[in-house]
Amino acid sequence: MTIVSIDIGSTWTKGAAFSLSSDGTLALLNRASHPTTVHDLSEGFSRVLGGLVGHDDEFELFYSSSAKGGLAVAAVGLVPELTSEMAKMTACSSGAKVTQTFAYELSDDDVSSLMLSAPDIILLTGGSDGGNSFYPVRNAGRIAGADLAAAIVFAGNRSAKDAVARILQGKHLVCTENVLPALDSPNPEPARAAIRDIFLTRITSGKGLDRIVADTGREPCPTPYALYEFCQSLAAHAPELGEFLLVDMGGATTDVYSVHNQAPTPGTVHRGLPEPRLKRSVEGDLGMRVSAITAAEAAREALGSVECAISDLASYAAKVKAAPEHLAGSVEEQHFDELLAGINVATSVMRHVGRAHEVATADGVVTVQTGRDLSSVRTIIGTGGYLSHTREFSPAIWLSQIGVDRHGKRVLSPRCERYLRDPMNILPLLANVSRGFPGAAARAAVNLLTPNQPSKPPLTTKVLLAQ
Amino acid sequence: METKFRVVLGVIGADCHAVGNKIIKSVLEPLGIDVINLGVMVSQDEFIDAAIETNADAILVSSIYGHGEIDCVGFRGRCVERGLEDIILYVGGNLVIGKVDFEDVEKLFKNMGFDRVFPPSVDLEEVAKLLKADIVKQAAIRAEADFLEVRLAG
Repeated sequence: MTIVSIDIGSTWTKGAAFSLSSDGTLALLNRASHPTTVHDLSEGFSRVLGGLVGHDDEFELFYSSSAKGGLAVAAVGLVPELTSEMAKMTACSSGAKVTQTFAYELSDDDVSSLMLSAPDIILLTGGSDGGNSFYPVRNAGRIAGADLAAAIVFAGNRSAKDAVARILQGKHLVCTENVLPALDSPNPEPARAAIRDIFLTRITSGKGLDRIVADTGREPCPTPYALYEFCQSLAAHAPELGEFLLVDMGGATTDVYSVHNQAPTPGTVHRGLPEPRLKRSVEGDLGMRVSAITAAEAAREALGSVECAISDLASYAAKVKAAPEHLAGSVEEQHFDELLAGINVATSVMRHVGRAHEVATADGVVTVQTGRDLSSVRTIIGTGGYLSHTREFSPAIWLSQIGVDRHGKRVLSPRCERYLRDPMNILPLLANVSRGFPGAAARAAVNLLTPNQPSKPPLTTKVLLAQ
Repeated sequence: METKFRVVLGVIGADCHAVGNKIIKSVLEPLGIDVINLGVMVSQDEFIDAAIETNADAILVSSIYGHGEIDCVGFRGRCVERGLEDIILYVGGNLVIGKVDFEDVEKLFKNMGFDRVFPPSVDLEEVAKLLKADIVKQAAIRAEADFLEVRLAG
């Protein structure tokens, strides 16, 4: 049986054909790609499909699409550490890019900045079930009074739902269960599904995607949503991977996924929201090309003056931002790319993981932990353009340098003992296949991931040694 | 379930005594009081965050290790700053170290803005009764204030 998977990205439409044998093994048959035809996505899609299978071949199709690099979601909550944080986490797990986060009552300035950034979706939360309804209702009023085209997902206090629905009637409103019905039981799934559905209607409307749906009889899946689901499936169907952290680094964003079971540790007190088993975080300011300038700023902050070439890095970043298709030519440019990649990995992982610090109490020293502790995680998976194609790069050295943050708290980041590279950048395509054949896709991923043995010492080691 | 009474409970400061709160929760809940137990080592802001988000009627602060005074100072002020000026505040446990008359302890914490102060050993059913009565009274005061506001505006 032949399975075809196609991903319509913002610059490339990529596809692969696999054969699924009767014992459930997936083998890669061939691959094809075509520049994404932005005016009519179905054009590039048919080219890729034509390159993968013949006219009369029987095959099963799965495909995904990213809407201009992800859907922009503004998260509105009540208390910053509770519903605001939960709204942000929910939006990230649904494949969206969180552009803004708000807490308490939206001010005039907040509303104007919402109008300015014009998100695709506003995720409105606030109040546990039966809890505060003043703020979610008030914020619904502020949103209703503004000239906003965004769809609104209300996932706040159940008791406020009727009032919110009344206030926002006439707008594109979807009400779901509360993301935080009680403070100790997060419930992201219903709101996540609602965001995905809006995502789908938005990406399929126009641009030729509706034509693909009509031709193939299949609905697409939002690309980041598919990858999130695939991580879940990898953990279930490829237990040999163990707990892992996956970095998907593109030109514009760096996405981090981690699978980890948080077990209670003696002597450690957890504060803050309970952590989910699988978490995704999206960093819109860290990337290799479109976000190179902000990444270079992060590099300056992290490396300070020790890195002598840091000002040259900034001008390189400006250059590649202006020409995102640029490939590093000289050794020096390769070095810059490596620096950007290393900083992106280290910074995005630092933002993804939790913190711990020691507190002296009457009972002795106690560790207080917030967020997730990935310090026992040893497996790192790298995918996306640069990570897939750069055999020489290893995140190990970058992760090993993460120590304490600026508040003196320990950063609970993983150590990289095993780095698995996705050399063909095929995980997004396998993520599609996983929707129909989760076990086969997970096993294929494990087989295709390459343990990375850098063929030469990383450039950066030399720099560090030279200091 | 939406109950009429809702309280936030926790052990304040660097105090790690986890058992007492579980007992308090297990007694209050069957008596119709919804208890959000935040556990141990809870900061003032965490109490207030939880009370805002859950629209709680009262905050119950436990302190067992003797440093209650330093942990609780400024609690009412912080509530006022964050929009919970009239929330009911209870505190109880081993609030201070050494042999101090409970009357003095009570005075100390009431001056800090706590509505009721409890010694280490107390009948929790009695506490539940007081709590419910206080919440009802507070609701009546609030309704009266709203009415007055409307009348003044009208």
